[in-house]
Amino acid sequence: MNEETGSATVLLVGVLLARLSITDIYARYVRVEMGPWLLVAGGLLAAAGLAGLLRSLLRPHETVLLSDHHEGHTERIGWLLLAPVVALLMVSPPALGSYSVDRSTIVIDDSGTTFDALPRGATVPMTLLEFDQRAADHAGASFGTTPVELTGFVAHTDDGTGFVIARFQIACCAADAVAAVARIVGVTGTAPGRDQWVTVVGTFDGITGGLPELRAADLRAIPAPVDPYE
Amino acid sequence: MAVTPTRTSHERRPTPARGTPATGLVIVAALVVLAAVLRPFLVELLVKPAVASWSTLFLAITIQAVPFLILGVTVSGAIAAFVPPGRIAALLPRRRLLAVPAAATAGAALPGCECGSVPIASRLVAAGVTPAAALAFLLSAPAINPIVLASTAVAFPGQPMMVLARFVASLAAAVAVGLVWTALGRDDLLATRRRWEPAPGPKVQMFLATARHDFLQAGGYLVVGAAAAATLQTLVPRSVVDAFADNIALSVLALGLLAVLLALCSEADAFVAAGLKQFPLTARLVFLVVGPMVDVKLIALQAGTFGPRFAAVFAPLTFVVAVACAVLTGWWLL
Repeated sequence: MNEETGSATVLLVGVLLARLSITDIYARYVRVEMGPWLLVAGGLLAAAGLAGLLRSLLRPHETVLLSDHHEGHTERIGWLLLAPVVALLMVSPPALGSYSVDRSTIVIDDSGTTFDALPRGATVPMTLLEFDQRAADHAGASFGTTPVELTGFVAHTDDGTGFVIARFQIACCAADAVAAVARIVGVTGTAPGRDQWVTVVGTFDGITGGLPELRAADLRAIPAPVDPYE
Repeated sequence: MAVTPTRTSHERRPTPARGTPATGLVIVAALVVLAAVLRPFLVELLVKPAVASWSTLFLAITIQAVPFLILGVTVSGAIAAFVPPGRIAALLPRRRLLAVPAAATAGAALPGCECGSVPIASRLVAAGVTPAAALAFLLSAPAINPIVLASTAVAFPGQPMMVLARFVASLAAAVAVGLVWTALGRDDLLATRRRWEPAPGPKVQMFLATARHDFLQAGGYLVVGAAAAATLQTLVPRSVVDAFADNIALSVLALGLLAVLLALCSEADAFVAAGLKQFPLTARLVFLVVGPMVDVKLIALQAGTFGPRFAAVFAPLTFVVAVACAVLTGWWLL
């Protein structure tokens, strides 16, 4: 890889990274908070690549003279950086879904936290993780009869008594994703298909087979959220 | 992974005979066009959940590492361009036995994760720092910096001893590996390889050229490592290790190996460790100490930067020392 190829690669990676950060697509791979950093990183790379490219295109003679006794070449391995670039240009792989739920450890998180009782009356939206943690705290005593609203994708389809929804938590990127899950029971009509995103309103219905259950009062299919992780 | 110097025309011919300065541009542009042409085929492949999951993990690991890599090559570029040779080595104690702990402690000042410290360690060696000290820095920096310790504290609420244990065990392992490396006296493993130096010129240009070179080199190996980690994560379900949770010795080994194959960012691994509740705390400490020091992504980066023969000795050595330090610290503190 010579100087201008290297610079062009750096420029391309930078531009792609910056572009990725201003679309919503990056949220499928890393935490949403990383967005501004990706933009900064992409800008820096693009600037460094452009500077090198301009220099070797405008003043090739100087470059040659300067690199007289030095290795003017970068190792070939740099070419591989084009692999993720090309992959992103062509396709944007989806966020992790039901396939990965089956392959990661499902954590019913007993965080040891003691939760205050939910306010009576209005429906409370909460993350699946909090739902699981509240379920683990004194067998879900904090729920009372308050309806909660959960959002996730269908991980296991209807087995006759209910289906399982899940949502991943990520700390940094999709590689460290851990799923929180809940079982939805009491749905009448057609149950949603695998990987369909849903918002369910219902009341806590105990823990069966290690999975906290929600007795659904209302179920809506929704498009995948911009940030697919909690 | 043999990296032969790719010398081209202008080095053999003294005249500036680079006839096609835009060749690289053409190749890069051709790849982009090819990508667009092949798109439908790849979209088809992504219907398979295993392929989709692999490519998501591959991109996730690569993308989240890039900002940290840039931080690393900014420092490595600055070392090459702005710091006079020998200056950093002069800052460290003359005696190796003191230089190693000093360099390991200095690692606390680099707020990043493991990808960024590889190019820095390589430049430190080039700048005349004794390899054992540079390696101690390489191991400690991603494990004991304030950001990593803070994220560990957040992931283990109410268990401050976990943070202390991570700090103590990681620092001890970095120093121990540095000292063992001194005793081994195998600096030849990393000395034989051609080292890239920027052409002398204006300092800003040297800085940019070094940063670009180091980014391309580390980035290329990062892609190899990310592909390996994504493959292992896709092929080996995490639940496999659950079988070893009940036996303390096996659980230590299982989580040590899991840290190697998951290749998590050191700023995120504490959250995964916190979720591995079925394992004893000491085994989870092993996971946190091994991860930033040895994983498939790092092995690829180290093999690329210091040579495969180096990595073949260094990675197993580090793994054994890291597990030992974590177990001893866990037995003492947890």
